[in-house]
Amino acid sequence: MRAHITRTTSSRATPYLYVLPALLVCLFIIISPLVVSLLLSFFNFSGYDRNYFKEFVGLDNFRTMYQDRYFWIALRNTLYFTASVTTVQIACALFFAIIIFFGNFRNSVLLRTIIFVPGVLAPVSISLAWRKILEQGGVLNRILNIDFSWLSSVQLAIWIVIFVSIWQWLGYNLLILYAGLQSLDIQMLEAADMDGASWTRKIFEVVIPSIVPTIVLNVVINVISAFRVFDIVYVLTRGGPVHNSEVLTTLMYYYSFSANGPNKMGVGSAIAMVLFLVMVAFGVIRTGWLRRGSRS
Amino acid sequence: MIRRSPPAAAAYGIVRKRDKGFYILSRVAMVVGIIGILFPILYIFSLSLRTKETMFSAHLFIIPQAVTLQNYANAWTYAKTNLNVSFLQMFRNSLVASVSSIAAAIALAALASFSFSHFQFRGKELLFTVLIGSFIIPAQVLLIPLFFLLKTMGLIDTYLAIILPYVGILIPIATLILRSFFQEIPRELKESAKIDGASDMKIFLRVVLPLSKPALGSCIILLFLETWNEFIFALVFLHSPKLQTIPVAIAKIAGGKFLLPVGTYSASIMITVIPILIVFIVFQKWFIAGITMGALKG
Repeated sequence: MRAHITRTTSSRATPYLYVLPALLVCLFIIISPLVVSLLLSFFNFSGYDRNYFKEFVGLDNFRTMYQDRYFWIALRNTLYFTASVTTVQIACALFFAIIIFFGNFRNSVLLRTIIFVPGVLAPVSISLAWRKILEQGGVLNRILNIDFSWLSSVQLAIWIVIFVSIWQWLGYNLLILYAGLQSLDIQMLEAADMDGASWTRKIFEVVIPSIVPTIVLNVVINVISAFRVFDIVYVLTRGGPVHNSEVLTTLMYYYSFSANGPNKMGVGSAIAMVLFLVMVAFGVIRTGWLRRGSRS
Repeated sequence: MIRRSPPAAAAYGIVRKRDKGFYILSRVAMVVGIIGILFPILYIFSLSLRTKETMFSAHLFIIPQAVTLQNYANAWTYAKTNLNVSFLQMFRNSLVASVSSIAAAIALAALASFSFSHFQFRGKELLFTVLIGSFIIPAQVLLIPLFFLLKTMGLIDTYLAIILPYVGILIPIATLILRSFFQEIPRELKESAKIDGASDMKIFLRVVLPLSKPALGSCIILLFLETWNEFIFALVFLHSPKLQTIPVAIAKIAGGKFLLPVGTYSASIMITVIPILIVFIVFQKWFIAGITMGALKG
């Protein structure tokens, strides 16, 4: 075997040539902009400028960001988001995954498919639909028989955004966890059955412990997506009322591109850097996890 | 370790006749869950079909008392007069952006994945990590520098302004999925082609790709969801209404400052929702497989 591998790789460059086009695109579209973004966070510029690198301002952008109390609100909201999708969303998805998997439904595929439906729709369309439902004269208020402006509540707005996001991605999480359940070791369940364990004990002591790897994977996916959330916030609240439901991505958009924003792209770049650094920190933690997992 | 098929597992697992608690819980939860998921969509659909007179009569909230398609006609003309662009044009824009970026991304990612799974070479792990590591970077971080880059190249407000970034973002996802699939292709198949004198390129095109149809299908579905629903790049890099993709256009129509009549608003949303729902229903097996595969390989 070894003999003809050396024969056919007559050109040692071939493997690199095959990887090169993909790598070049990624360098061009992702990695070099990342470096540029870091540099830009030290400059003062707006979208109208021809040359973005004309006014070096040192750490001014970071100072502006630091002093903006809405930056801290946006950071707090992003963390709320992350916390919710890693706990509530996964708990709900796990609940439905277990119920469908062990429920002996006649058509479990259909059930999973229905719950996944919001996941194929554009977050923008979904958010517009929810805005109609939540508006003051909307159906929710009519069902509850109250008159409340859900999306203009300073305290509630971000939680409603989180709720809509959970509603949309529940089915996606369910599919992941369901795949975990499908590789469950049935013998352990049979053994528990023989011991006469109740169904709650079987779920909490056999089923859930054995799909922990899938749950961890799901947590990782959800953290990554929580830091990307933009569309739902943008359409549901525009970060309002008065920036109280802003997340890091929407605040960055507000500083850099929004028509009624300050048009300070330098500050936008600084916020983008914070976003990036948090993701890097998370990436490091994650590799640490995986290492530990593979060692044991 | 014995793995049984899911139905057998379910029969043996938790629900037995004596587990009445679980049986009742599962049925109640499923009813609540399905209603919770479907109600918002069905409700907007119901609004979009109502006549002006029955718009606010809340008969069961879902089933309209009188049905009309007038709202859809209104939505169509509203988009045309106020945004100066027809829904047809929006769909065309989304289609152009999605199809071309997916085609390019799959071609490049497949080639790279083949290299990663077929050859042994120095720096392989490093290159692979660089390539898929960019997966973790939120697209928004790249927004300002990409805007700068595209502006310098004079590409802002052209199809390429979103196609190029899309390709860059899709490649890591596609590489992740395709490489892991290519690795599972039996070596013997490639070896025998090699003995017949096939070049590496031929092995890739004639052996690996034809065997990977399911993976390619799932991959395409996954990438399609990414591009078809993508919002922020299309929002920032395209300005003229003639080029706008569906998410941006619908956000401008329904999310704009002007208050739309309820019927027109709901019909506009449904025009963007119905086609993708049809695609989903037709290809549901592929969707489910693609999503599961994408998540588990990632």
